[in-house]
Amino acid sequence: MKKTTTLVLSALAAILVGCGKAPEAKKLSVFCWSEYIPQSVIEQFTKETGIQVSVENYASNEEMLAKLTAGGGEYDIIQPSEYVVEALIAQKLLHPIDKTKIPNLSNIAPQFLKMSFDPDNSFSVPFMAGTVGIVVNTDLIKDDIKSFADVFKPDNKGKIVVLDDAREITAWALLSQELPINDISDANLDKVKPVLANWIPLVKVFDSDSPKTALLNGDVAMGVVWGGEGAILLQSNPKFRWIIPAEGTHLFIDSLAMPKTAKNVENAEAFMNFILRPDVSKKISDAFPYTNPNLAARKLLSEEQLNNKASFPSDADIAKMQVFRDIGTQGSKIDEIVTSLKAQ
Amino acid sequence: MSLIAAVSGVHDSGGYRRPPNLVAWLVLMPLLAWLFLFVIVPTVMLVVVSFAERDALGRIVYDFTLQNYIRAFDWLWLKVLLSSLWYALLTTLICMFVGYPVAYTIGRAPLHWRGLLLMLVMVPFWTSFLIRTYAWITILSKDGLLNSLLVSAGIFSHSAEILYTPFAIVLGLVYNFLPFMILPIYTSVEKLDNALIEAAYDLGAGPVRAFSQVIIPLTRPGIAAGAMLVFVPSIAMFAITTLMGGGTNPTIGEVIFKQFTSGRNQPFGAALGSILLLIFVLALWITRKYREED
Repeated sequence: MKKTTTLVLSALAAILVGCGKAPEAKKLSVFCWSEYIPQSVIEQFTKETGIQVSVENYASNEEMLAKLTAGGGEYDIIQPSEYVVEALIAQKLLHPIDKTKIPNLSNIAPQFLKMSFDPDNSFSVPFMAGTVGIVVNTDLIKDDIKSFADVFKPDNKGKIVVLDDAREITAWALLSQELPINDISDANLDKVKPVLANWIPLVKVFDSDSPKTALLNGDVAMGVVWGGEGAILLQSNPKFRWIIPAEGTHLFIDSLAMPKTAKNVENAEAFMNFILRPDVSKKISDAFPYTNPNLAARKLLSEEQLNNKASFPSDADIAKMQVFRDIGTQGSKIDEIVTSLKAQ
Repeated sequence: MSLIAAVSGVHDSGGYRRPPNLVAWLVLMPLLAWLFLFVIVPTVMLVVVSFAERDALGRIVYDFTLQNYIRAFDWLWLKVLLSSLWYALLTTLICMFVGYPVAYTIGRAPLHWRGLLLMLVMVPFWTSFLIRTYAWITILSKDGLLNSLLVSAGIFSHSAEILYTPFAIVLGLVYNFLPFMILPIYTSVEKLDNALIEAAYDLGAGPVRAFSQVIIPLTRPGIAAGAMLVFVPSIAMFAITTLMGGGTNPTIGEVIFKQFTSGRNQPFGAALGSILLLIFVLALWITRKYREED
């Protein structure tokens, strides 16, 4: 009896193992931001193409860079922001894209194509864009907030959440001094240090992952957060107001790209084309309301979604925004300045 | 040393021959392999990287430099280290004062109760500590459970600021590490010989004296083990301190984490990590020395 059971069990196990193993070519390894590609979209891709997708997440561009350059994992798709695309292209770490495999690239608005970081889109296709702006809980704050300078006032001490990102905070300080956000020279850092020294002690919470939490829970009254987070706040309660800082702000463009070491290039290109399909891109916008660069997908969005200023800033606002360029090892200096001011 | 002695079979006594040492080696092999792969190799890697440089993308360049250590001894990073040590010390002391009575009660409880009580101590481990930390955020936030309870009960007139304060950091650390204090003390308490305590009373000691001069010294190994198990991991803990402290008080764990990620400076992170490791080794060595002299 016992023998039969064992036999049956091992036979079952063999069948299960046999089933679970997909053929070598039907695989795709995606290394993407957390909270950016909905699980349902990944599942739909697998259902339509039979390609098994394994997903790994990261919380910052640099975390992705560290894992990618350390050769820890074999990824077919990565999701770098504009300045990282630039650095990866310069270091010849990206695999060129066969654009004939991605006809849906034509859905993308021209203003998000042929950007300075990848002039021919030879290595990257836009996934989502977005901005950083101010969100204010008007139940708690009656002042008219227009700029970074209005946010970082002594009266607002202990009421502010900001992104836990030294480069971002420094960029806002540079903007407030009318300095270019990509010129991280020592001279410019000396100029913004006193500004940061005034700002950082006013902050109650540093959070890049989910800055909306502190705002929703009422722990803070205003914040400088990602557009997507702002859009969710605006949807959740009319008491939240979105403001594009008068000084200008940061426009980011997150792309899909393939590392040089990608094993499943064709699957990766199929995935890119799938993501750029209007109905799929709409699903991503529904879940994570960033600035969708996909014009065909925008047609499928509701009036309410399109009118959300945190998702879709006006063209005049976008014209005032700047993208990040790679600053290399100067990043350490920014990090040190911000950490030292936090530790005081 | 005893490991080597066991393997090399020095105590070869009498006329009959011991079985070949090969067996002993085979038995020890998994442990040795584990130690080599997960303790020695990573430590050596950490130390090697701490003397290296990095390029613009953050890739490690193996050129020897002392720059990372020179930078690490800046007052800024020492201040961060000191504040982390302070939080860890506070956490350990609170865990001790809260954990000891709990462990003592469980250890002295009727036998059939102990299993259940111990299980209650370990139940939190069934959920990820991150989920439990997020639960604390829901409880402590301004519009959270605790504040709404206190305000609606009329104890507070308006919501208090609990979350994102140093108090919240220590609360999070104590909550997470308390079981690590309770369990080793419990094992010591369980082994306590009742006769010794009765003897103390018979010889005229009051409850305070019996506790401080008999019970505490007898359970000291448990207290020491618990203190180490709480102190060491709470120095480097960064998830709880950033989530519950709002990231306004950088801890050494957070600083090291950032060097490996957004800072693109693994060699510097490795240097800070090596210094932290050295502190742990020194602390262990001093306590051991102290115990030997005892």
